[in-house]
Amino acid sequence: MDFFTVEDLTAGYGKKEIIDHLSFSVDSGCLAGVLGANGSGKTTLLKAICGILPHTGSCILEGTTLEKLNPRQLSQRCSYIPQRSGISIDISVLDVVLMGFNPWLGLLERPTASMEQKGRKALALAGLEGKEQQNYQTLSEGQKQLCIFARALCCEGHLLLLDEPESALDFRFRYQMLERLRRWLSEDARAAIVTLHDPSLALNYCHRLLLLSEGKILGTLSPGTDSLPRMEELLEQIYGQISLARLPARSGREHLVMLREEA
Amino acid sequence: MGRRTGAAKVMCVLGALAMAVLFAASLFVGKYPLSLRELAAGNELQLRVFWTLRASRTCVGAVGGFALGAAGFVYQTVFRNPLASPDIIGVSSGASAGAAAGILFFSGAAAVTASSFTGALLAVVIVLALSALDKSGSKNTIVLAGIAVHSLAQTVLMCLKLTADPERQLASIEYWIMGSLNGISGYSTGGNLLLCALCLAVLFPLHRQIILLSGEEGEARMLGVSVGKLRLFVLLTATLTVSAVISLTGLISFIGLLAPHGARLLTKDNRQATMLLSGLAGGSLLMAADILARSAASTELPVSIFTSLLGAPFLILLIRRQTKKH
Repeated sequence: MDFFTVEDLTAGYGKKEIIDHLSFSVDSGCLAGVLGANGSGKTTLLKAICGILPHTGSCILEGTTLEKLNPRQLSQRCSYIPQRSGISIDISVLDVVLMGFNPWLGLLERPTASMEQKGRKALALAGLEGKEQQNYQTLSEGQKQLCIFARALCCEGHLLLLDEPESALDFRFRYQMLERLRRWLSEDARAAIVTLHDPSLALNYCHRLLLLSEGKILGTLSPGTDSLPRMEELLEQIYGQISLARLPARSGREHLVMLREEA
Repeated sequence: MGRRTGAAKVMCVLGALAMAVLFAASLFVGKYPLSLRELAAGNELQLRVFWTLRASRTCVGAVGGFALGAAGFVYQTVFRNPLASPDIIGVSSGASAGAAAGILFFSGAAAVTASSFTGALLAVVIVLALSALDKSGSKNTIVLAGIAVHSLAQTVLMCLKLTADPERQLASIEYWIMGSLNGISGYSTGGNLLLCALCLAVLFPLHRQIILLSGEEGEARMLGVSVGKLRLFVLLTATLTVSAVISLTGLISFIGLLAPHGARLLTKDNRQATMLLSGLAGGSLLMAADILARSAASTELPVSIFTSLLGAPFLILLIRRQTKKH
């Protein structure tokens, strides 16, 4: 049985369908990337999976149909990081991270000391050590993304959905975040689906890639095993004329690089 | 939780002290000054004034102001709008129309209180029923429904004013709308204050959930919050609190808006201590305004004049202090 399966998923805004009868599955430990042009349905796909958008079809995580769960049960299994968090009030960074424990707390319960400790650890893991008492509103956009990433880690769900989590991060933190995400996935039976704008990042860190175009799946890639010509052929349908190359870093690890070819 | 939480606690203690001092002053200041010695000596007239007028009036000032301040914190947080107040969902307008109907068709202060409370509740029920038509449960729908009910209640109020006797009833309606703690007696306040206390006892433990409601709806849902149900419950409880106060006092401007802002500017966060400080600031402001309303002139003045006069400079002072720091 697959760890996470999406079956015949259709969703949109009002009567306009953005994603159209999508089906795919993700294995345990897999970091699945979603690539596509603007408006291809990447964010809609994540919002539909986590039930924020009304949809038809079903999403099954470890044998449980997510559509049958109430918000509390759903958030215990599945965490979501939006492109931008809607937090607009003055609140400390640590308090934002502690929100991640809400699925495990009763209505009137407060986070325990051990949860606070875990929250501090998650902040340190996200690179925000020492900023626990800082006002969330005074963080840079990139730091806010890291803070929300730390909060999602605290939710302890088995499926993590990340919507362009790297969009406000600098070069160093982009790579660090995905490295930490891969490490987090390897610690337990977990999977993550991440939408990305940067194909190079996706090609080097995702185990599997879903290519979306106009709400449909163009194809899937496994960057670790697929041949360069096959990957080029599929990626060109989204990005136009491109070429891929494998370049070794000083460490010896090979990196996939995507270059745009002149038309 | 650090230095800031400690500072917030100190401010809450100072706020409670301010409320205690104003509570004591409110018991003894007025047209008929009371003295502790005479009360202890068993002066019958003084005891009667104390128990029938001052005690209930002071309790309404303290609890009512506290409730308006704390409810203001809830409205502003849930709606993510610094200008949010009970008006945003038509409560004040409903209470005004209800009070006007009470003045026109019934007699006695208790009847006006009951009628005003019914008007406020009716407004809330209509707002919630209208917003339930939108299955997405968006808070914008609640605000739009509130604007519609506010307009409707204002129309009812205008019609009632047109039919009112200009000499007596119209003046009473206008006086009620201006807000006053005058004429509050122990017989008519008990139920309302109890309801206020119960609602506050529900709202304070829900503080963490109220903060979660301040985010985007989808984000809150993915943190395990049943957004629609919880928001409905929190707003209904906050509105009941406000209805219980303004049906006794008439419309009191500024406290629900100013107290939370003042508290946030002092603590720089939105923790439970800030919600408590909002209540303490509200209670202190209403009691101070009421003391001035009954002692500044030969006739009793509307309390809202003083809540605005005391509150606005305080808020400006805090904003100036904040901008200087930046």
